Amino acid sequence: MPYHQFKCSECIPERLEHAVDKGAGEELTDALPLGYLNTIPGTISERGCAYCGAKHVIGTPMKDVIHISHGPVGCTYDTWQTKRYISDNGCFQLKYTFASDMKEANIVFGAEKMLKKNIVEAFKAFPNIKRMTVYQTCASALIGDDINAIAEEVMEEMPDVKIFVCNSPGFAGPSQSGGHHKINLAWLSQMVGTVEPEIYSKYVINYVGEYNIQGDQEIMKDYIQRMGIQILSTFTGNSRFDDLCGMHRAQLNVLECARSAEYICDELRVRYGIPRMDIDGFGFEALSDSLLKIAYFFGIEERARAIIDEETARWKPELDWYAARLQGIKVCIWPGGSKLWHWAHSIHKEMGLEVVSVYTKFGHQGDMEKGISRCEEGALAIDDPNELETLEAMYTLKPDIIFTGKRPGEVAKKIRVPYLNAHAYHNGPYKGYEGWVRFARDIYNAVYSPMHKLAFIDISKDEIPTGKGFETQRMYSDVKISDEVKNDTALRQCTSKYDPIPALREKTYTFPDPKTGEWKVVSNEKFRKNSGVA
Amino acid sequence: MDETTAQEKMKQLEWYITKHCLWQYNSRGWDREIQNERILGKSKQLLCGENAREDDSNADRYYWSEAMTLVEAFKRYFPWLKTMKKEDIATVMQLLKEKMDYTMIKGSLNQELIKEKY
Amino acid sequence: MSCELKSKDRAGVINPIFTCQPAGAQFVSIGVKDCIGIVHGGQGCVMFVRLIFSQHFKESFELASSSLHEDAAVFGALHRVEQGVDVLLMRYPHVKVVPIITTCSTEIIGDDIDGVILKLNNGLLKEKYADREVHLISIHTPSFVGSMISGYDIAVKDFVSHFAQKEGMVNGKINVITGWVNPGDVTEVKSLLKEMQVEATVLFEIETFDSPMMPDGNHISHGETTIDDLRSTGNAIGTIALNRYEGGKAALYLEKEFDIPAIIGPTPIGIRNTDTFLQNIKKMTGKPIPESLVRKRGIAVDAITDLTHMFLAGKKVAIYGSPDLVIGLAQFCLDMEMLPVLLLLGDDNTSYASDPRIRELKENVEFNMEIITNADFWELETRIKNDGLELDLILGHSKGRFIPIDYNIPMVRVGFPVYDRAGHYRYPVVGYAGATWLAEQMANTLFTDMEYKHNKEWVLGVW
Repeated sequence: MPYHQFKCSECIPERLEHAVDKGAGEELTDALPLGYLNTIPGTISERGCAYCGAKHVIGTPMKDVIHISHGPVGCTYDTWQTKRYISDNGCFQLKYTFASDMKEANIVFGAEKMLKKNIVEAFKAFPNIKRMTVYQTCASALIGDDINAIAEEVMEEMPDVKIFVCNSPGFAGPSQSGGHHKINLAWLSQMVGTVEPEIYSKYVINYVGEYNIQGDQEIMKDYIQRMGIQILSTFTGNSRFDDLCGMHRAQLNVLECARSAEYICDELRVRYGIPRMDIDGFGFEALSDSLLKIAYFFGIEERARAIIDEETARWKPELDWYAARLQGIKVCIWPGGSKLWHWAHSIHKEMGLEVVSVYTKFGHQGDMEKGISRCEEGALAIDDPNELETLEAMYTLKPDIIFTGKRPGEVAKKIRVPYLNAHAYHNGPYKGYEGWVRFARDIYNAVYSPMHKLAFIDISKDEIPTGKGFETQRMYSDVKISDEVKNDTALRQCTSKYDPIPALREKTYTFPDPKTGEWKVVSNEKFRKNSGVA
Repeated sequence: MDETTAQEKMKQLEWYITKHCLWQYNSRGWDREIQNERILGKSKQLLCGENAREDDSNADRYYWSEAMTLVEAFKRYFPWLKTMKKEDIATVMQLLKEKMDYTMIKGSLNQELIKEKY
Repeated sequence: MSCELKSKDRAGVINPIFTCQPAGAQFVSIGVKDCIGIVHGGQGCVMFVRLIFSQHFKESFELASSSLHEDAAVFGALHRVEQGVDVLLMRYPHVKVVPIITTCSTEIIGDDIDGVILKLNNGLLKEKYADREVHLISIHTPSFVGSMISGYDIAVKDFVSHFAQKEGMVNGKINVITGWVNPGDVTEVKSLLKEMQVEATVLFEIETFDSPMMPDGNHISHGETTIDDLRSTGNAIGTIALNRYEGGKAALYLEKEFDIPAIIGPTPIGIRNTDTFLQNIKKMTGKPIPESLVRKRGIAVDAITDLTHMFLAGKKVAIYGSPDLVIGLAQFCLDMEMLPVLLLLGDDNTSYASDPRIRELKENVEFNMEIITNADFWELETRIKNDGLELDLILGHSKGRFIPIDYNIPMVRVGFPVYDRAGHYRYPVVGYAGATWLAEQMANTLFTDMEYKHNKEWVLGVW
């Protein structure tokens, strides 16, 4: 597994050990890219800051909370409305963001008094909300404001409110990952254990590292609750503040994005003896094994098998319709942290795509171990990629599609590589059986877009095919497949609704009573007590 | 069973874990040792028809759940396990444990493994 | 019945209308050819600004970071600027201009970027890049001062003052500083200048922000203003800054430094302000306003007349965003018989009170109109939610989109950023074309709303 030398980075030798080609027969012990090191300035890296890692990625998905950033207004403005973490209470966390709006005088004379005024004002504007998170920024960290002291003061004066403080300024670490780390540990030490949660099932888990992007959490919650398992809290998508204060009462932590949330799981294991179970919510086989594993823990594997069978029967014919048409499509999986390993093997095995490259913006070496292991030979793995390297990679690897962020997606678009949004998704959710089919459909629509094909024609040089009025996706995708598959009536295209989530919110579930074991209906309200918080 | 066969079978099992599992990747070396020890240990016990439960603690149930899922997948992927003798399975599983310890801990290039705190 | 100018009286911000200064400087930086800015601060200050540019334009722009990390925040980070400049120049051989843009963190720790630029000019650039034209420009944009608007203003001035030279003869051109606008606005301004047969240096040439997908796979969007363009601003016969708050500083600088007469504003939004703009060009260049523009204006007035007293008259409007845009839109709305009852300006610029356009509003408006400075979106929302403000229309950018959605008020997207509607950057709001487009957008938005709410939707059947 030799290091991969990008031509564009020959002049910065320290980049060499950040990229590796997975060679035939080579193992993780032969080479592994470096990771989570300080960024080389001027490279045009794609990394964000530790403030956004804490506030934007992990804090803000909490749905019944006033999220204030203590600093100049830009940190708040810039991160606001750039993600799709929805909630079942009207998306208060997407719609409202709060900044203390630090000005020059505050920098000189301190901003603690002003912060206090801010906090009080915010609670006054939203009298039904009693929970708050306050995030430090570069500016408030450097002037040394004691945010915790202010929070304490307010809580003394307003006994019905609770405030969580996260001290994770933008510069705290090489990337957003520094912020994930800080908020994990801050939440654990400040908040966990301060609320005794209501337990209504014999089986209780925390669902950790899941942010409800386009409804991922809600689609997974459906399977978990159908097994009779109570999700005490989700860290942090679609979760209530108080539920997350009661995390210590779960029997198991089910961990999805280990990159952003392994720290709290590890600490909950050490301090409270709650085991950490890593799962995959993507891919039929990986998800089925994950559900089964959770069920084994509670001794309810037959309930899991019933769900797996039902969902597979419902959605597999749709997945296979796309899989037949996506064989050999080359993909770069270029997300932030966890999706390189969540997707690499399943997308190859179940949809037939060839993963030619994986990268991680803010992952650690552990993420690369997972990603490289799950890729096939020949894949190029890049840590902390920069703009020129990704262009060079796209020109040499010639992928048919890439999964990446919005802005790098625009770069890919220009060199005629279609992209799907790896962070926010195109038409998600992508988790769950239904989500995985939606993902396949989105890949199919991107790869076989007639408009995409038109982009390659140079009307000044090429022969223009004048006899055609249009082309369809099927006209491209079906030339490669046999008549047998083409005419297979068992297969069908995606039938998932535009938004499958609202229907899930109306479902009722039964849970075994923690004392008697008797299965009882638990009302929807218990899952989302404060609907209409605003 | 000869050494070559044992190695070859071990490789198949290792391939499965490498591609599908996540439990071996905890972020600290000492963590990985426990994971390998407990999950592969229980998997071996299950494959050999031995008792794999120690107590009813959440921790033990967790390792057991991972092992149950792994063994089920092993059997799905590798039909030869059904006809293999128990002592041979034990041999292959021992090799697998050694290999996983090497890849994930002793031979690992992951510099984070030696960090003390999470 | 009056127009009142006042500041938001809360300390904090609930849903900000503006971002901070470095974003404005970054917007200027991407407008210059062969230029990649280095933002000296945390990585988020660049990553998210690049994201919002790409959300608005559906394009990617190049900006680098000095990637401030923990040690640098404690011990100073000038070495990261030095390394950043070198890495950038090595890997981007075409780059000639590198603005070093400060942020809150690096201003607080007191990094002397002017000093480091001097050091680089005398060291690295002489030793390693002797054969290459490279300009390092310091731009101080602490995030806790002003807003994205003043950041833009400062950066335009810093670029101009770095390059502008008086070299011999006057070049016969005028400088037109557009302010923070869209490609569609630049196209419209240039078309008006062409009709007037006036040669101009346009700051900034950003029509290329709407970049094509070419068969050879060009990969990046950037502006086209060259070093020579910037240099020649010192030789112009005059400067017109369309916006008072976005480019006015540079116009004043050229006037003071090189005696180049400056006309600042009014922003040519609406028929009347466009007339003034043309009159100003005429005055500056002596060129007459041609028949073709009389006709172009006639088409606009004709189109807008179809809409005003039938549909737009009496409609209550709230407008938020960049001050020049908001004021220009309010003036245009008044000409169209509408009632701009609430204007929200997102920063605490104390000079708004002396803006002649605001004074004119205060003197002449005969209905209740509030102009809120240092405003956030809560100023708008609480008036609707808690104070019974009734609105027929909202004009503003996408960050405010949940208010029209949640309170069922029609909205026309205008300004920056607009990411929840397709292609808006392609259309002008300035000039006669902009006036027509705006009026028709407003009308069509009201029509769609009438149909959606079954509110006299049958009226349109015989229009």
